[in-house]
Amino acid sequence: MTNLSPVTVAPPRGRSGWRSMLPRWSPKLGVGLVLIVLITLIGVVGPLLVGDPSTIRDIGLTTPGGEFWLGTTLTGQDVVAQLAHATRGSLYIGLLVGVMATALSALFGIVGSYVGGYVDEGFNLFSNVMLVIPGLPLVIVISAFVPADQRGSWTIAVVLAITGWAASARVLRAQTLSLRNRDYVAAAKVSGEKPWRVITVEILPNLLPLLASQFVFSVIYAILSEAGLSFLGLGASNSSTLGTMLYYAQNGFALQREAWWWFVPPGLIIALLGCGLALVNFSIDEIINPKLRDIPRRDKAEAARTPDPVPRPDDDVVLTVTDLSVVYQVDKPVHAVKDVSITLRRGEILGLAGESGCGKTTLAYAINRLHRPPAEVTTGSVTFHDREGGDIDVLALTPGELRAFRWSKLSMVFQGAMNALNPVISIRAQLDDVLTTHRPEMTKAQRRARCEEVLKLVGVDVRRLSSFPHELSGGMRQRVMIAMALLLDPQVMIMDEPTTALDVVVQRGILREILRLRDEIGFAVLFITHDLPLLLELADRIAVMKEGEVVEYRAAQDMFEHPEHPYTRQLLDSFPSLTGERGSFVRSGEQTPPVDRSGEPTPSGGVR
Amino acid sequence: MTTLEARELVKDFHVRVGLRRVRLRAVDNVSFTLTPGRTVALVGESGSGKSTIARMIARLEKPSAGSITVTGPDGRKVPERQYRDNVQMVFQDPFASLNPFHTIEHHLARPLKLHGKPHGWEDVVQLLERVSLPGRDIAGRRPHELSGGQRQRVAIARALAPGAKVVVADEPVSMLDVSIRLGVLNLMARLQREEDLAVLYITHDLATARHFSDDILVLYKGRVVERGPADEVILNPQHPYTKILASAAPNPEARGRAVEIDPADVERAGAAAAYDHNTGAWEEVTA
Repeated sequence: MTNLSPVTVAPPRGRSGWRSMLPRWSPKLGVGLVLIVLITLIGVVGPLLVGDPSTIRDIGLTTPGGEFWLGTTLTGQDVVAQLAHATRGSLYIGLLVGVMATALSALFGIVGSYVGGYVDEGFNLFSNVMLVIPGLPLVIVISAFVPADQRGSWTIAVVLAITGWAASARVLRAQTLSLRNRDYVAAAKVSGEKPWRVITVEILPNLLPLLASQFVFSVIYAILSEAGLSFLGLGASNSSTLGTMLYYAQNGFALQREAWWWFVPPGLIIALLGCGLALVNFSIDEIINPKLRDIPRRDKAEAARTPDPVPRPDDDVVLTVTDLSVVYQVDKPVHAVKDVSITLRRGEILGLAGESGCGKTTLAYAINRLHRPPAEVTTGSVTFHDREGGDIDVLALTPGELRAFRWSKLSMVFQGAMNALNPVISIRAQLDDVLTTHRPEMTKAQRRARCEEVLKLVGVDVRRLSSFPHELSGGMRQRVMIAMALLLDPQVMIMDEPTTALDVVVQRGILREILRLRDEIGFAVLFITHDLPLLLELADRIAVMKEGEVVEYRAAQDMFEHPEHPYTRQLLDSFPSLTGERGSFVRSGEQTPPVDRSGEPTPSGGVR
Repeated sequence: MTTLEARELVKDFHVRVGLRRVRLRAVDNVSFTLTPGRTVALVGESGSGKSTIARMIARLEKPSAGSITVTGPDGRKVPERQYRDNVQMVFQDPFASLNPFHTIEHHLARPLKLHGKPHGWEDVVQLLERVSLPGRDIAGRRPHELSGGQRQRVAIARALAPGAKVVVADEPVSMLDVSIRLGVLNLMARLQREEDLAVLYITHDLATARHFSDDILVLYKGRVVERGPADEVILNPQHPYTKILASAAPNPEARGRAVEIDPADVERAGAAAAYDHNTGAWEEVTA
């Protein structure tokens, strides 16, 4: 339910629709745009300002300066004038190819994968065939086949488009395959939309950033390939592009004559244009995958915290969290965890209940120091009281110490952890890997024995060790993840919604294992879930969180019988009793008071 | 009086295992009738075929065998072309079922238009107000600006837009925060009463199934194992699988109990004959 990854916690507000399709401003984007705009100006405005590029003068190979500030060619043509016209020619071909290749890839990639069946198989086979044919040789063959006098810019553009669309089609196909299974596409079908409308209105807009980046990619490809072709003398006749400039420079032995002003400027423009387009593409990629964004790390605020480890209150306590606050330092700082104090005793199951966005996952991450910028611990301390004596101030650990601390003293089972197993590595190798990293002194036989031992502990057949994750059921994979968290015999285990994605019968089996392990091994569990009835049955004590604060913190039995905080009561009321009275769960069709009190966040309100 | 009758529905999927094609029966001989003003709950775990049944009724999948017929108020079968005027669906995940690119107005105006209803701004606002949302404020927004509960209300409004009389709700509250589930379920109950809707409520949660439906069908591996009035099925379960399901649900009143569930027992229980509370009889498993 709470799919709260630290990076996406604060969705940018107000960036909607078309605006969210635009890349965010960044230095990369700025530099890229400046480069592209400058070069486009050279290509568009330049030819109007310079003279005829083909005028032949008898001042061959003049060095730059004076009237010809980039010198002249062997036949006395002005390099500046040639450069302006060549840039225009290259941009023209780049745009032509970009449009044609994107259209082709959209046709084969999007339509094919949406229609499915044989059409998709056919289109996909065709794109694959086009993909494995090496591009440049094919281009050379095709353009050599066309007589030189008929080889105009359009011919070259068509040839380049035909050879350059396949990779984009593959990318678009993969994305469309995922989009066509989205519920909103199904919903559009159910409301009776026609297939072409589903493609153009529901799917296509969501592909725009991808199409844009594929377009930019094909422009780069076209400009570079055209330059290559022209350099080989296979380019468009009667047209001047950056490639033809290089071709003539090569034929005029510019390199041997050290006439750098003849071949460096066109080469530089190709390189800078490619660079600018690539930088813009990075920014477009960040729309598709926001995780690529750089989040500035602010070290000073982290250091400002005064570490004050709490002395061990008594031997029974294993983890003390005092006044912990975590703030997401985004434009408008979000106080995700506010002054939370909890203690965890040995062999205790402490439940942490709350709804999505209440900060429970952020708290768990902060205890383990897994929070990443923009999240910051602003106040408070986390103290681990080791079984062997000694207290560890978790927030003050160096990265090396932290690595040793995590997993061996305190391990974590993540939300949806069963999907965190590597699908191509066997269970044994993945368990073994933890041991080789943390316990390098163990022999192979010892490691093997330990792996078998933990698997037995969580009730999975030892023969499953050589299986791969996809061969196990969801419940089985979750058990393997718990086994992995047990490997190093930790004193504390944090479990973040470990059973949320599982069926009740499977969940029951895992809960039984957790209780049994707690009794046998005596570790302490911090069990995070939104399911309060589950905690009431399972946990010893429960902390209820709301909007970053712990609103009620007491023994489970107590909480069930006499919930004090109105929010706790409201949560309890939200779960109907299976066999008991209906309570507030009467199918009245009326808006009952608890709903109004829940106060569905008003649109303008804070974090959801 | 629009009713929907599903008779002996079967859905087979073909899966490739190596070079062989294996038939996987997702739904096996399921029959039920949805009548106006009544809610039928389909209860089962993941893989029990309940979503497949929903998708077949919404015409997103074709049944391998069996029939789904909608009978209009005039007692005649509704022709295929008007099927979607009568049957609509509410999807499970309100974060996935609204297109992030389009405004709320688009989501409601399109179905209104497609089914030949007035589809101006005012009509959309009215529709939003029927699901207790501030229509004027919300119609121009995009899905990511709304909370989960608000989105699901929009999804319900979309299902009502064509004037459907049969609504399939596939786990409509399982993705929502617990404190707003009750509100959404009650909204559906209110609309059902106002419109005399026939509702198929699909859920894995026995408790809400009991409180929000009239009849319950318990599914296991595509087969109905127990059916009957809601309270009967939950309070007095006859089938061993239903009993296992009921005992596995969290129960704060039974702290410290030891529930041992052996997967083999579940398998065995699921294979038993089906029990029908209405006839009070066990029905033999048909091969």
